[in-house]
Amino acid sequence: MPTVQLFVTCLIDSFYPHVGEAVVDVLRRLGVDVDFPRDQTCCGQPNFNAGLREEAKPIAQHTIRTFEAVDGDVVIPSGSCAHMLRHNYAELFADDPHWLPRAKALASRTYEFTEYLVDKLGVTDVGARWDGPLTYHATCHLHRGVGVDRQPRTLLAHVRGAEVRPLPEEYDCCGFGGIFSVEHPELSAEFLKRKIRNLESTQSPTLVVADTGCLMHIAGGLHRQQKTQRVIHIAELLNNI
Amino acid sequence: MDPFHQRIRRAISDEHLQEALDGNARRRVEARVTAFGSLPDWPERRQRAHAVRADVIENLDSYLEQFIHNAQNNGITIHRAKDAAEAVKIILDLVGAGGRPPLQKLIAKSKSMISEELDLNPALEAAGHRVVETDLGEYIVQLRGERPSHIITPAVHLRRSDVGQLFHDKLGIPYTEDVPTLTNTARKVLREVFLTADVGLSGVNFGVAETGGICLVTNEGNGRMVTTLPRTHIALMGMERLVPTLDDLALMLTLLPRSATGQKLSVYTQLIHKPLDGQQRHIVILDNGRSRLRASPLRESLYCIRCGSCLNACPVFRELGGHAYGAVYSGPIGSVISAGLFGSEFAPLAQASSLCGACKDACPVDIDLPKLLTRVRAGQADVERKEGQGLATPLKAGLQAFSLAARDPRLFAASQKLAALGTNLVSPASPWMHLPAATGWGYSKDFPKFAIKPFRERFIRQAAERAELKTTPQESPSKVHTSAVQRDCVQQFTEELNAVGGHILLTQDATASIIDFLHARNVDRIHLEPNTLDESALAAAGFTVAHAPDPSIRVGVTKALRGLADTGSVLVVDGDGHPLEASLLPEVHLVVLRKSDILPSLEDAIHLLRESRSAVVITGPSRTGDIEMTLTIGVHGPGEVHVFLTK
Ligand code: SF4
Repeated sequence: MPTVQLFVTCLIDSFYPHVGEAVVDVLRRLGVDVDFPRDQTCCGQPNFNAGLREEAKPIAQHTIRTFEAVDGDVVIPSGSCAHMLRHNYAELFADDPHWLPRAKALASRTYEFTEYLVDKLGVTDVGARWDGPLTYHATCHLHRGVGVDRQPRTLLAHVRGAEVRPLPEEYDCCGFGGIFSVEHPELSAEFLKRKIRNLESTQSPTLVVADTGCLMHIAGGLHRQQKTQRVIHIAELLNNI
Repeated sequence: MDPFHQRIRRAISDEHLQEALDGNARRRVEARVTAFGSLPDWPERRQRAHAVRADVIENLDSYLEQFIHNAQNNGITIHRAKDAAEAVKIILDLVGAGGRPPLQKLIAKSKSMISEELDLNPALEAAGHRVVETDLGEYIVQLRGERPSHIITPAVHLRRSDVGQLFHDKLGIPYTEDVPTLTNTARKVLREVFLTADVGLSGVNFGVAETGGICLVTNEGNGRMVTTLPRTHIALMGMERLVPTLDDLALMLTLLPRSATGQKLSVYTQLIHKPLDGQQRHIVILDNGRSRLRASPLRESLYCIRCGSCLNACPVFRELGGHAYGAVYSGPIGSVISAGLFGSEFAPLAQASSLCGACKDACPVDIDLPKLLTRVRAGQADVERKEGQGLATPLKAGLQAFSLAARDPRLFAASQKLAALGTNLVSPASPWMHLPAATGWGYSKDFPKFAIKPFRERFIRQAAERAELKTTPQESPSKVHTSAVQRDCVQQFTEELNAVGGHILLTQDATASIIDFLHARNVDRIHLEPNTLDESALAAAGFTVAHAPDPSIRVGVTKALRGLADTGSVLVVDGDGHPLEASLLPEVHLVVLRKSDILPSLEDAIHLLRESRSAVVITGPSRTGDIEMTLTIGVHGPGEVHVFLTK
């Protein structure tokens, strides 16, 4: 049985621990041993994206060290953080002969959660069920960053009882973008409005995403607008048996 | 609030602008996606195009040298300008040259973003010259005293009602929202300009190193006018705008129009090698920060072919339009190069991105724009390398503190705990907190409370359930569809020509068929390219034939050197009897083409143009989409194209 190292991400760790538990449950049910290196913190993306590379570096180095100490594939339930490890670490250490190979070695054993299930384990039906309509928002760093789109959709298609409704403009950004939503709240709010309008047009009570940053942003917007739709992480859906 | 944020707020609250931009985003993106449907191998072409541009930028000096050498041998005068001031001086000297007072010249200008970089129009006007923008969109923004708001569709921020009002105010026509009427008004005004202009100014889409030729891609016909009719033609070219060979050009031409306007080929693809008879041609090659950009980590941005596709795909551009950027180049590419070309005061533009990557996806040469945006943010556009460029100070401080915690697991866990306690004190009853708008986050959404017990405290090591791995066979990703069996060239040519609004007639005897056509149209004078039709038969039938341009003639007849099946295009080459003008000035262009001269695509034909002085690939009648992207046929060039296909 494979062992994986869970990089749970700082957002799930701090705000959505139940999502992390869902990830663990799904993997364990499929026969995967899951471990959680306790020294992990954040991947450093907030600082990297803001342009504060000198401050992103120590965080990235810390993450590399933490996962170098353990064996097995690294699974991340976030397209955005997976993109950070897979691509941005190499950018961050492009001129650093000491850290670049280490960053690349970590990148090569890193998988986004749904990618791991479908591509690595070859699982498309995790035995989940759901009653009623759902809709799925393809988060930007998941489908453009790490090129993972077919995998979550395949998993979704195999959830018994779920009626997956297409979300109009599903590939449009929700406006999170990390620090962007704080630095440019006016722009971010416009993207969010459109995303919520599109969600409403599906009349689905539930929106599924595979990134907690976007989840936090969209759910926060729905709550501010006193809407009733729920945003869930795909792991929660897949853990619904 | 800083000016950029102010401009953002203004753009977002401008409903009129928002409607115009929404329409643009939807239609442009759809058009691009549809256009690439006809190019099944485009992902591979995109990678090749990336490699071609990378090679050019890597070896720019030698390609420039080759280009300049060849262009000079072709009789074109080359000027190099290291910055805007130098370029303006060169152009002023060229425009003012050779004249005794009055020196005031009339300059007909087709679209050139370089001229925006140079702020050229004010400089020419200050010297007493009159400059008229002749691209419909550019003409509109010039009348409004604005800058273009998009590199391809300059008037994208306007609705038809704005243009109606503008033409009513400035040109004195009755107010109308009818796009063909508005277009026709501009056509009439500008026609006069083309015919009397002393100097034609144009941009350049590509320079071809191996031939020294330049390629211009346009739809309306104004680009052809300003490069063909005035005695002096000055082309403005960015120094990076080269491709090594004609083959590379053909590759780029399969990507550029599809990305820019959703066309398989633009209406007019000109290849210019030499001056025409009695004409002077100059190319001004501009650096203006490009060498600096090339030496910086933003080098990849020089691969850009200015298709505008990243602007159309960008959700930020969709909210702002071009003007709010406050820079010559807007959108994702503008947010990268403005800081690199014009200085770090433009660095804050790069913060206005969610890094969603839609731009990279849309880019026909696969420039990693999100990566470049993060480089600008990291201060790499600048020698000083100030990190976090354009970021608000409190945010920077917050992120610095976060970085200290995130490199130390114990500190991280402790901060997490503290934050959880804090947020629970602030908002004991609800899982949400209502933050004030000034925090940024609170502007449009609520903030979740930190979990009292984070995941790290909940995780318990356990073995997996020993379930059997249930694997299901995977669906293979859907097959990339390959184009159906190569259709017959003639049939494909016919279909494509019809699709772009051209007409086709199969004939045994082109002269007889054209005589019938002219009778039906009540036309008795034509501008004819020699050796195309039986002139004695024409004379016997009572037609007057001219071999020189005459603006009062309504029908022009030329041969086509070749036809192109995949785009429905015809190749017209400069020669005796002014075929370039015959295919440009009249309202109706009749083309005689032999069936056997139809080739599959431009890639098969481009080499035939190598020796021509100037040539144009014509794809249907002249058109514009500059007003609300409403397709209007017949702008400056012919409104009708009829191909007489002979055996
Ligand atoms: S960056 Fe790419 S998409 Fe944007 S204008 Fe340049 S070539 Fe086109």
